[in-house]
Amino acid sequence: MIIRVQNLVKRYGDLLALDHFGLEIKEGEIFGLLGPNGSGKTTAINCMLSLLKYDKGTIEIFGKPMSPDAYDTKRNIGVVMQNVAVFNELTVLENIRYFCGLYISDKAERSELVEQAIDFVGLQDFRKFLPKKLSGGLLRRLNIACGIAHKPKLIFLDEPTVAVDPQSRNNILEGIQRLNREGATIVYTSHYMEEVEQICSRIAIIDKGKTLATGTKDELKSMIKTGETITAEIFALTDGDIEEVRGLPHVTKVTYDSSRLRVHCSGGKHNLIRLLDKLKERDISFGKVFSEPPTLNDVFLEITGKELRD
Amino acid sequence: MLLFHYINRLKCLLRDKETVFWTLLFPILLATLFNIAFGSITSATEMFSPVATAVIDNQAYQDNVPFKEALKAVSSGEQPLLKVSVLSQDQAEQKLKEGEISGIITVSDGINLRVINTGLYQSLIKSFLDEYLQIEKTAGAIIESNPSAVQNGLFNSLADRRNYTDEISFSGAEPDTFLAYFYALIAMACLYGSFWGLRNVIDIQANLSPLGARRSVSPTHKLTSIVCDQLAALTIHFAEILITICYLVFVLGVDFGKRGGLVVLICFVGSVTGISLGTFVGSAIRKNEKVKYAMLNGISLSMSFLAGLMFIEMKYIVAQNVPLLSYINPAALLSDAFYSLNIYESLTRFYLNFGLLCSLSVLLSVASYMLVRREKYASI
Repeated sequence: MIIRVQNLVKRYGDLLALDHFGLEIKEGEIFGLLGPNGSGKTTAINCMLSLLKYDKGTIEIFGKPMSPDAYDTKRNIGVVMQNVAVFNELTVLENIRYFCGLYISDKAERSELVEQAIDFVGLQDFRKFLPKKLSGGLLRRLNIACGIAHKPKLIFLDEPTVAVDPQSRNNILEGIQRLNREGATIVYTSHYMEEVEQICSRIAIIDKGKTLATGTKDELKSMIKTGETITAEIFALTDGDIEEVRGLPHVTKVTYDSSRLRVHCSGGKHNLIRLLDKLKERDISFGKVFSEPPTLNDVFLEITGKELRD
Repeated sequence: MLLFHYINRLKCLLRDKETVFWTLLFPILLATLFNIAFGSITSATEMFSPVATAVIDNQAYQDNVPFKEALKAVSSGEQPLLKVSVLSQDQAEQKLKEGEISGIITVSDGINLRVINTGLYQSLIKSFLDEYLQIEKTAGAIIESNPSAVQNGLFNSLADRRNYTDEISFSGAEPDTFLAYFYALIAMACLYGSFWGLRNVIDIQANLSPLGARRSVSPTHKLTSIVCDQLAALTIHFAEILITICYLVFVLGVDFGKRGGLVVLICFVGSVTGISLGTFVGSAIRKNEKVKYAMLNGISLSMSFLAGLMFIEMKYIVAQNVPLLSYINPAALLSDAFYSLNIYESLTRFYLNFGLLCSLSVLLSVASYMLVRREKYASI
């Protein structure tokens, strides 16, 4: 295991930020910590990095207990903070060089790594720019470059795409996958389920400081009753029609609003065909019809009873 | 590795334009304003105008030739003391009432002065008359006992003034009230080094900035970062203080005496004290960055005020009424160190100030390190 966290308890006064939190991350994974704002993701990362004191529990990284003076362990860790952490007075090149220099003392090796990091985040044309001259997306890329320039084996990325334009977001997500392909283990926190679903090999769903479920996205989706959700555009529907649909096998919930019929199913096969047959049978004309598999939001909703972004 | 940290920190701090303004340009601007203001005061003092005086025109005055000659002597020349008008009693009284003259001299049985106000001009007329009467009396006594003295140059001897003492400064500098303002200004500039100290704390503490958090998770020992940051701040601030001193000495002509080495030494200690003060406030006070900067500005200005920056008498008022405050106020210690270097031959007072400043710096630095060395935080 690259990271093993057991029974972690962290209190801020009366607030229980981490409630016997635990997780295990294997080498080579992109591990996603998914939870709403305030669920304890950043607190968990800060505890793992030995920035925060905690009340109870154990944290091991690379098989060794993590502490502020675990310099050998820290040498192999890269951190990309939620807030941009760069020197406003240093240029793009100088910032990356400085943060890389905190890990790499050899000047030649450092120069090479800095150039690779600049190429990696695509800031070749901005190397002499001061951070204040960069757009939000470019600034995030600089923030990432500063955290990964020393080629760490383990990288913590704490919501790196917050307030980033779609183009930069895709660039960042592709970069994370590339880092992983090059051998880095990634711990990625986000409250954007699409991102987590897109890049993470395993996911822990967190709420109120607890790990509610851990697994691959398919494993998580298979843990819940909700299967596919079928949506059909129908101009007019009677209460009787809705009752008929509700009576179909595996249907758990039916809603009809703004000419959209939504049918939630709990697994099973041929749900779409059965619905179409029922509509034909009752001579109901319909427009576009499509089926969506369950999302991580459905998983979160079913486990916690609330939406991920509440 | 240390050099790498030090040079990077120098770059960061040197490019921090706002702090460079407050720690270098602001003291220079203030010094320039002081110089302009004090220059006007000096000019006003030096533009002395003769004291308008009336002498009553009567027979006794016309007969008193020596007094007429004496009045003529003090009313003429490049810098006359008096501007004498010979008037009738009524005219003189009218002018005195209207404030056109400062006093009326009447020669009768003796020589009398009438004034209706008291002040510098009236004192000058009285001094002149006292001196004249004293010389007249002395000359009378000498002539009475030795009439031949007149032929031997008695009057020349009486008019001749010699100083048998010479006023010199041990340090070669002239005591000047305005200098104390410039000393307090340098003390303020030293305390403004606290802004560099605060910046260092913010950039190194994980609970104060994301930058601090990023640096805290790196494998660089915290003591290395602290030492390099503080050395870089000290280099910059000490250079700023030297530039300010050079500006004062070579551009404004402010006299810091002839003990240049000790002036530089006390500037260095002042710089260390300022940076330590900022580091301490930054690490001990749990407020946001802006509040901390405002607090440091307030503390520095208050200490400088008590050291006489805005009102020079304040320094003496504090020394008389709250002497302890003078011994713990770094601005007062610094300005007093400059003053004692310039005025006293003995260095005892200078070294007392120097020792107290060193003690304060050590105290603040140790306290700050105890607070900053913590590597895990309750919250960030």
